Amino acid sequence: MQRLKEVDVVVLGLGMVGSMVAKELAAAGYKVVGLERGEARFTVPEFQSPAIHDELRFAVRKALMQDNTREPVTFRNHASEVALPIRRWESFLPGTGLGGSMVHWNGQTYRFQANDFQLATRTRERYGKRFLDPDLTIQDWGVTYEDLEPHFDRFEYLLGTSGKASNIKGQRQPGGDPHESPRSRDYPTPPQKELHQGALFRKAASSLGYNPFPQPSSNLSQPYTNPEGMKLNACVFCGFCERFACEHFAKSTPQTVILPVLLANPNFELRTGCQVQRINLDSARKHATGVTYIDAVGREFEQPASLVITSMFALNNVRMLLLSGIGTPYDPVSGRGVVGRNYTYQTVSSAAAYFDQDVIVNPFMASGASGTVINDFAGDNFDHGGLGFIGGAYIGAVNSGGRPILYHPVPPNTPAWGKRWKQAVIKHYNHTIIIGVHGSSIAHRGNHLDLDPTYRDAWGQPLLRMTFDFPQNDLKMSAYLTAKAAEIGKAMGAKEVAGSPREGPYTTQQYQSTHNTGGTVMGDNPRTSVVNRYSQSWDVSNVFVIGASNYPQNASWNPTGTLGALTYWTIDALKNKYLKNPGPLVSA
Amino acid sequence: MIAGVRLPADAPKGRAPAFALAFALAFALAFALAFALACAPAAAAAPSAAAKPGETVAPCEACHGAHGEGMAAAHVPRIAGQSAEYLKKQLDDYAEGTRDNPVMRNFAKALSDQQRSTLAARYAAMRATPPPQAAALDAVQRARGHQLAYQGDEQRRVAACNSCHGPDGVGVLHAAPYLAGQSADYLTSALKSFQQDTRRNDAGESMRSVAKQLDDADIAAISGYFSSTQ
Repeated sequence: MQRLKEVDVVVLGLGMVGSMVAKELAAAGYKVVGLERGEARFTVPEFQSPAIHDELRFAVRKALMQDNTREPVTFRNHASEVALPIRRWESFLPGTGLGGSMVHWNGQTYRFQANDFQLATRTRERYGKRFLDPDLTIQDWGVTYEDLEPHFDRFEYLLGTSGKASNIKGQRQPGGDPHESPRSRDYPTPPQKELHQGALFRKAASSLGYNPFPQPSSNLSQPYTNPEGMKLNACVFCGFCERFACEHFAKSTPQTVILPVLLANPNFELRTGCQVQRINLDSARKHATGVTYIDAVGREFEQPASLVITSMFALNNVRMLLLSGIGTPYDPVSGRGVVGRNYTYQTVSSAAAYFDQDVIVNPFMASGASGTVINDFAGDNFDHGGLGFIGGAYIGAVNSGGRPILYHPVPPNTPAWGKRWKQAVIKHYNHTIIIGVHGSSIAHRGNHLDLDPTYRDAWGQPLLRMTFDFPQNDLKMSAYLTAKAAEIGKAMGAKEVAGSPREGPYTTQQYQSTHNTGGTVMGDNPRTSVVNRYSQSWDVSNVFVIGASNYPQNASWNPTGTLGALTYWTIDALKNKYLKNPGPLVSA
Repeated sequence: MIAGVRLPADAPKGRAPAFALAFALAFALAFALAFALACAPAAAAAPSAAAKPGETVAPCEACHGAHGEGMAAAHVPRIAGQSAEYLKKQLDDYAEGTRDNPVMRNFAKALSDQQRSTLAARYAAMRATPPPQAAALDAVQRARGHQLAYQGDEQRRVAACNSCHGPDGVGVLHAAPYLAGQSADYLTSALKSFQQDTRRNDAGESMRSVAKQLDDADIAAISGYFSSTQ
């Protein structure tokens, strides 16, 4: 093993979070090394069409995702079962390579609401102490919406997010989402154009007394230059966002909003093809000395560093702490330990609305975030008293592209293959609207992540093991809200509406969401959290963990907007607190 | 005022003398000619194989040619085989002023919506003519043109032309016009008009965003490159 020259900061994973942290710290004068396991790739030439629109390669065979022939995740529903490796990604799609999972994201850029950051407290206040099943381990974040607001704002302006404000510093604005928490200013660019299906949804939702609004999108509605000086173009609605990369410089990704600035800074060095094995600790195991990694040709290196930032995909953040022995692993039997605890997901369902032939949907014309949605049943925006669950969902016509191989909606009871199936696809392809129900995920005592006792990766390290099933709370929520979505579908004039609420057990064989959250939960108590309110490890103060793995439970919305805010919040603490006086920022 | 004429059923085939006159005038007196054509369309409405007897035609041929081949030297595009949606939109946009061209503005304004659709469909249905003479490019320009067409430019943040305009610029129906075989001078003037905001009919400013990132050498390379492809 070769020991390299010590640097100030080593950043593990060069997705959006890693790129933001590295850019800020390199600009502040620190020597930063970024370690990325995947390859370097850029809009030109890697993301250009027609190659990037290869649905078989990218959507079916998942070319942009973590290589699960070398590094899968094992899965089981319950601790009584034996977990097996997921050999084909279906349910969730962790990305790999420079730019990370945001290269293939849809661009849906929501803020969690103020209530979400104090979920345990607010639930107790509104519904009483005994409302919740005691096995639901929800908790507050240790950071509030007010703390994060300036950082939400900064992140949205970094991305150029297209949307419409409804609440600017408490002043109600026309349009937008009436449930939103106060914002300091409007979105940097106006909403994307409304799709025809969005217009039908908007009219029907309004007629039922709901409050539809355009989904905030980081596929931009118009050209935009961000505060880093990066120019973005307007989206052309090609319908190839999720699972694909954008060839038009129109989707906000690390490549389009920040990486060129980072890579131009001589204080930063990018190393790709580097598989980090562990964070190294001193003999007292209270201080990190750097990391050990293996490069693309199999050579092992030790990279000493004063500060370690773990900014990998949420699941891999958890695994890196477990592999490094940082923090106490969670034990679902005793309920003790923290690393891997409160793994949550997203409870997604839908109602398919089938229309007559005169309603032309053109599902292929879309961006990943050009939907029209309502928040009337999201979070705690409605009274849960008597419903027997907490949490909610945003509901909307959110079609991200009717691509030929994977999109062919047919009504229930259609044969799954053969002539009648083909006839049904032809009949319904252009006359169907899928109303999505994007539901929250409540932490449960049994759902967790740990190291697999049997299976190892290509480098000989234990795989991450996922133990997960939907809590009854979330299944009740899904049933209630999928019925609401079906009602809207009827009001849209569909001749048939088929609601499909989420049902257990959770399966990894059907795509649901890549919103894997929790496992390195943040909080104000080291007995129930892995990192403090500044994303700093309670156990090893020169390790900061930033990712959706820090979410104590997952809310009704896509996690990226909140993760961007959390990242700028943590950067602020690093620059203005930690680096001026290294040590624990919160006393345990 | 309708810039069209009812052709006699027995109109002779071939180019009328008025056609040559119109060419000459088109260069010298674009404004005046447009006005004259609009007022007295018979003067320029050359009958041709493209027009079926009894149909209404506009004097497009004076500049765009009897077969929609365009007039490369005068920056007049080849329009034969271009998509009907694209051509109709251009006529609408000339009339609206979001595409700024004094000659085309007057023609387009004088046409009814139905006439614009009919003309667009007619030129769309024509077989694309052999391309006009390609611009002479040196090896460096050709390589640069090919790079912009197929790859784009990361530094300038320009996507490959073919990303929207189809493989080797053959066009994408309903969405983007063909570039292959188009006149280099026309492509140059189109890119410049996007660059200078005199053409503003691109959805999402997509072409203006691209054109503003290109310099003169890039514009010459890409225009010349596509003029030499088919």
